Amino acid sequence: MLRLLVSRVLAAIPLMLMVATLVFFLAQLNPVDPAATIMGDDADLESLAEKRAELGIDRPLVVQYWDWLNSAVVGDLGTNWFNGEEITTELRDRIPVTLSMVFGSLIVALGIGSAFGVLAALKAGRWPDRTITVASSLGLAVPNFWIGLVLAYYVGVKLQWLPAIWPTTRPDSLARWIEALILPCVALGISASAAIARQARSSMIGVLQRDYVRTALAKGLPVRRVVSRHAIRNAAIPVVTLAGFQTSALIGGSIFVEFVFNVPGLGRFGVDAILRQNMPALLGFVMVTAAVVVVVNIVLDLSYAWLNPKVRPE
Amino acid sequence: MSDALAGLGGSADAGELASPAPMPQESAAGATRSRFWARLRRNKVAMAGAVYLVLVVIAAIFAPLLTSHDETFATRFQDILFSPGEAGYVLGTDHVGRDILTRIFFGARYALIAGAEAVLVALVIGVPFGLAIGYFRGWADRIGMRFVEIVVAVPAVVMAMAIITGLGTGLTNAMLAIGLVFSMIITRLVRAEVFAAREEFYVDGARAAGASDRRVMWRHILPNVAPPLIVQTTLLFAQAVLAEAALSFLGIGADASQASWGRMLRDAELSIDRTIWPAIPPGIAIFLTVVAFNVFGDGLRDAFAREARGGRVGVGDVMPKERNAASAPPWPPGSDDPLLSLRGLDIVFPKPGEGTDMTVVRDVNLDIGRGEVMALVGESGSGKTITGLSLMGLVPDPGQASAESIVLDGRELVGMDFNDLRWIRGREIGIIFQEPSAALNPAYTVGRQVAEPLRVHLGMSKREARERVIELFTEVGIPDPHKRIDAFPHQFSGGMAQRVMIAMALSCEPKLLIADEPTTALDVTVQGQMLDLVSELARSRGVSVLLITHDLGVVADLADRVAVMYAGEIVETGRLADVFATPRHPYTEGLIAAIPRNEPRSGDLPTIPGVVPPPWAWPDRCHFADRCLYEAIECRRGPVELRPMGASLTRCERSHELELRGVQHASVVAIAGWEQPSGEPGSGGVMPGLPPGGVMPGLPPGEGGPA
Repeated sequence: MLRLLVSRVLAAIPLMLMVATLVFFLAQLNPVDPAATIMGDDADLESLAEKRAELGIDRPLVVQYWDWLNSAVVGDLGTNWFNGEEITTELRDRIPVTLSMVFGSLIVALGIGSAFGVLAALKAGRWPDRTITVASSLGLAVPNFWIGLVLAYYVGVKLQWLPAIWPTTRPDSLARWIEALILPCVALGISASAAIARQARSSMIGVLQRDYVRTALAKGLPVRRVVSRHAIRNAAIPVVTLAGFQTSALIGGSIFVEFVFNVPGLGRFGVDAILRQNMPALLGFVMVTAAVVVVVNIVLDLSYAWLNPKVRPE
Repeated sequence: MSDALAGLGGSADAGELASPAPMPQESAAGATRSRFWARLRRNKVAMAGAVYLVLVVIAAIFAPLLTSHDETFATRFQDILFSPGEAGYVLGTDHVGRDILTRIFFGARYALIAGAEAVLVALVIGVPFGLAIGYFRGWADRIGMRFVEIVVAVPAVVMAMAIITGLGTGLTNAMLAIGLVFSMIITRLVRAEVFAAREEFYVDGARAAGASDRRVMWRHILPNVAPPLIVQTTLLFAQAVLAEAALSFLGIGADASQASWGRMLRDAELSIDRTIWPAIPPGIAIFLTVVAFNVFGDGLRDAFAREARGGRVGVGDVMPKERNAASAPPWPPGSDDPLLSLRGLDIVFPKPGEGTDMTVVRDVNLDIGRGEVMALVGESGSGKTITGLSLMGLVPDPGQASAESIVLDGRELVGMDFNDLRWIRGREIGIIFQEPSAALNPAYTVGRQVAEPLRVHLGMSKREARERVIELFTEVGIPDPHKRIDAFPHQFSGGMAQRVMIAMALSCEPKLLIADEPTTALDVTVQGQMLDLVSELARSRGVSVLLITHDLGVVADLADRVAVMYAGEIVETGRLADVFATPRHPYTEGLIAAIPRNEPRSGDLPTIPGVVPPPWAWPDRCHFADRCLYEAIECRRGPVELRPMGASLTRCERSHELELRGVQHASVVAIAGWEQPSGEPGSGGVMPGLPPGGVMPGLPPGEGGPA
């Protein structure tokens, strides 16, 4: 297991490096001068040149890249061009917010999605299955920010059950933190639950037709045991794969939900960076999300090894 | 749904991922094409989606004609937020006084154009890229996939945002960015399909025939890639519509002058302290459009390749059937007190694609004496496997078995429900399946799987069960059982895995062992050992065996009695020596003649022309007549009954007048290679009986059937 972990981590390093390289040069394609964006339209040429020198963007791209990479490796993602803050510090405050939202909704989605998916598979072709199938294809089609808006309005503004926007002061207790997370997590998690339910259904249907399920029945095991021991564990493998994709998807989706609920997470930071051509901020944002995805995938690889002995190193 | 957008590793549209049951793919050519459209048209949900999409297209094209307001400019009442219906505004106005209905119609334009742009970019880049790396493989593939991996290492939205930073914001750029990210999904899909297509012989054939790379790619591979590509394109279109809305909502897609649905939601948020209403129509518009694309895409997928219908678990028990005195055949031959006595078994399945039933097993009677080996012989599709499964209540859904009676050791099994039968399964009847490696659960150690029935049926403790498993492993000849007990099925060879299955089947000392083609999937060199092991263990324990096989060589070697099945019916049954020496049914004669054996013969190995017809084509008279060498007028009159002829029973109209050829001693055909000294003249020495996996030489496997 340790060897598997080490080899996955080692493989992730060049990947992260490539992502950094790709994104760095991609983002530079834009002909708009960041100095002009920062200084405003009426800045004179001289002060623009000064600003460019200050930001270091008057140097050749390759030099800028090398410089950025060198500090990024030791965790220094540079300085925010607009407010002079350390990007690393800014991200550090925002990561827990976004991650708690993403993992909160992932756990809910896995729970709800697998339960309904398995139920649908066991009742294949009958009304529980049809209901779940329809509900999940509808769930896949709802924009999460729209659900967010509707929830914020009805549950937050009208009923006042839960906060419609993130508290302006940092939540001071776990209870308030969770309270503030519920609506964003629901908005974010609905389509993930739908996707997981669909996958769980189809992989469960596939597994139930496998020979080893027939063997388990032929041994005289109770149906419940056949389903819970023999089928679910094998059906879980594609669901886990999907959960990996979904984590990545939820991180992307969190951007929109954060926008709705005014959550001070990574998403707002990233959108801000794009709108203002804030290169260091954008790069920091992309690298952090990439890192999260990479870590999640490593965790998934390890869980495959548990689920599927074939990939376990001997 | 922005998260689906980000998840687009083909993920949000579940069911695409490696599902354990591969869906059968049909080629989209010729006759299948019309069936494809018929299937699609029958899918009401998909058709509803298509109709809705047509309406959206109409709304988009004729938006200026369908509306009486301007999409971007306010009406006269800038500060009033009209509710729906008020002042003639059907859907009301937004916070700056623009008519919502007008903007919804124009929004359809942005949605469709944006979706088309993204999908087009994805296809133009993804298809050639995927074809190229899939076709050339090697370095091209390694570099290409590495690139794809880098792009998808970041959530799709985030990657799109990085690209937008480079291109600048705005709807066109945003959709270009989305298209670039989507192209990675297309690339992966096309590559995977090309890999699959390359495995097909026709690609090699085309290349051997001198076709150029480009020609092979476009003419032979692309048509195969097309169905999944069409499905994926439809689903991506839905994702692109969502992406457009999402990015416009953030303000990095459509700008303020463009009435996109996402932009409308952004505007609606500004007045959310007053009313939610302006957010409702665009939200529903996005939702319905995405649903429509999704259901249409799903419909296409189902029409291209129908998903294996979910078989329910735990419904395979045998229903009671009225005793039909007229059809009850004279019986024995057999012992007076059989261990198992099956009467009047019918099994029906729904006919594929239609509502009607087809009978796959008809009126089967079977007696198995105590300690006796009964062979059930037939080609694939004859119904022999499913007959065996029905004894344990394991007929797979949606099949339905019914019988007059199944008496096992004095106990009536018909009418017992699935859960009652559980005490029969594993405890009274053990079974060995054809594919040992598929029959074992890959997720658990073999020891645990063999111990399971011991613990469930005999209430053994973990420790007791483990010790018993080790004993069993020793008995079935698994070397080093103390260590192997903790190994996983994939660490076993086929032969060893089958020994595990045998240990499992015999673990609770059952009275009857069903061996369903126990050696077919195994290497020829171990087939003999395996059969010896089964018969030895069975005889030493006094277990009766129902040996299901297509291999008459095996039958000759092991069986006491034989029942020959053809197309769902038993056509002949009797003692081994009688059936082999004086076959009473032309089919039996054909089977015997077709066995390779150790005697000098000249000419081709005799074969029976034709194949077993599929169950829906079985006639209401002699099933074998169409292939029979002795067919006469009377064979076409009506159903033929099983009747005594000599020492056997046969289902042949002409058995009384035919002189069929058998072999003098069954041992002549017991050629199974393991007992033959090597170098025996004419042994032809490779095949014990019939070739594995199938039927007789010259007899292509039948339709498979549900068996």
